[in-house]
Amino acid sequence: MTHELKRLVTGIEGLDALLRGGLVAGAAYIVQGPPGAGKTILANQLACGHVRSGGRVLVATLLSESHERLFQYLGTLDFFDPALVGDQIQFVSAFDTLEQEGLDAVVRLLRQEIARQKATLLVVDGVLNARARAESALDTKKFVSALQGHAAFAGCTVLLLTSARMEEGSPEHTMVDGVIELGEHMVGSRAVRSIQLRKTRGSAALSGRHECLIDRTGMRVFPRLESLFSHPSQHGSCTPGRVSSGVPSLDDMLDGGLAAASVTLLMGPSGIGKTSLGLAFLSASTKQVPGLHFGFYEPPERLRNKAASLGFDFRSMEQEGSLQLCWQPTTEGLLDQLGARLIEQVDAMGAKRVVIDSLGAFSRLAMEPARLNAFFRALTGELRARDVSVMLTWEMRDIFGAEISAPAPDLSSIVDNLMLMRFVELDSSLRRMLSILKVRDGQHHTSPHELIIGTRGISLHKAFEGASGMLSGTAVANPSG
Amino acid sequence: MKTILIVDDEYLIAEILGYALEDEGFQVRKASNGVKALAALKDAPVQLIITDYMMPLLNGEELARALRKDPAWRTLPIILMSGAQANQGCPDLFAAVFDKPFDMDRMIATVRDLLGN
Repeated sequence: MTHELKRLVTGIEGLDALLRGGLVAGAAYIVQGPPGAGKTILANQLACGHVRSGGRVLVATLLSESHERLFQYLGTLDFFDPALVGDQIQFVSAFDTLEQEGLDAVVRLLRQEIARQKATLLVVDGVLNARARAESALDTKKFVSALQGHAAFAGCTVLLLTSARMEEGSPEHTMVDGVIELGEHMVGSRAVRSIQLRKTRGSAALSGRHECLIDRTGMRVFPRLESLFSHPSQHGSCTPGRVSSGVPSLDDMLDGGLAAASVTLLMGPSGIGKTSLGLAFLSASTKQVPGLHFGFYEPPERLRNKAASLGFDFRSMEQEGSLQLCWQPTTEGLLDQLGARLIEQVDAMGAKRVVIDSLGAFSRLAMEPARLNAFFRALTGELRARDVSVMLTWEMRDIFGAEISAPAPDLSSIVDNLMLMRFVELDSSLRRMLSILKVRDGQHHTSPHELIIGTRGISLHKAFEGASGMLSGTAVANPSG
Repeated sequence: MKTILIVDDEYLIAEILGYALEDEGFQVRKASNGVKALAALKDAPVQLIITDYMMPLLNGEELARALRKDPAWRTLPIILMSGAQANQGCPDLFAAVFDKPFDMDRMIATVRDLLGN
């Protein structure tokens, strides 16, 4: 019979998800990473969070920066409250004991302090100095083991901070229950922080490297979406049914509309009308079926004006709670942070119609483009699991031409419906064309239709009969007869 | 020569303060927590104590309370150095309280005042 281990919730955004519920209470962890990687922030943020949920913390340093200097830096972060220090969080230095009396005396001192302070979390900063004081690898093992043993006996969880990158076979690694590695690497001219759980006993923690950041609020971790949602977190209702695309003539082409909780990709060049179709899709939102525009390029006011020019009153819809325009004016950020924000927005408002304009913004944030397919698959899978009907846009590079660039390989694993939009030059005029390339589990008109966008809204009608080559953008009228 | 006992678990602060006081002609002894400070007082008398607040085994306030109970040390002047926890502890126990980081000249002037130099 299996049982659940008691957890110490870290309170650090994303880290508990990574650890599948938090640190194992009473276990010992190494937090390693080069100077500046965020070890001290992670430990102190965890300490402050732990105190706020009723715990008591002992922070012991083995030669590091002075406590006062540390408090000055921590004072710039929202999570830190100096009033907690000296009571629920005790900072002590064990350096003198280490230097004068050795490792055994440090263990003795910390054991006494854990008991005296009734600490439920012990942070030891500067573990490398313990290794330097040890006469052999066995001494280091004994130190970690003794510390861990005394702490566990007192129900105290231990974090050992070290700036060395200890290898898997190191004495410290073999003795602890988990190893959390923090790092920073350059991607072009950008520095990206990362976190990796190199060892986690007692939990099916999310492996691999995940992105994180440090800002005024402290550390935030963004688990790789495809790892967090390797299986959808919930079952959708799987109710068959149709939802309107917001354009009646497009619904006709789709044999009654889009399948509920399906994902539709609109591909086309800049200016073809992808955003307009997205706005039309959202215009069908109601209080019961709210819509969310998750856009990157056009601020809300411009979208409202654009919608108004198509005959949609977005302002009123927003006021009555049937629509939200969520603008992401980001040029830098993290892919998984963005994915998490979208899911969070959808959950917060219970959105059932979502437009993402466009997938290109996600792609630009991807440090590893090879991840994109799995990322999009996880993202759309989660939205489907929430019974959300999704419309995605993708801007094709070439305005004309036979080449079609897709956001990711293996599109069928990401999207259910695929629509291609192109400018078509025919009879000395430039026209918009929409062709439905794929509809999952449904009938649809296969012939290209002309898209008309005007003050009376959006409509599609049959056109280009007797012409070929529309998908390349340069149609050729077939000779009649 | 008057002797000052510096009680601080933070090695560097004890070192820096110790050098500054020695430069001023004081003899300095050090202890890294309150327990060690009480033991040091048994070895040889001191004329003043400068103590940190947060320390293992016995903190600055606990040390001061222990000394106030002992007739031999009841009137010994004690200066408290405290950090983020500046508002903690009982000020009546101390002849002066300094928030870390403190001004060294002001500390030395206070020491001189308390020792009547």
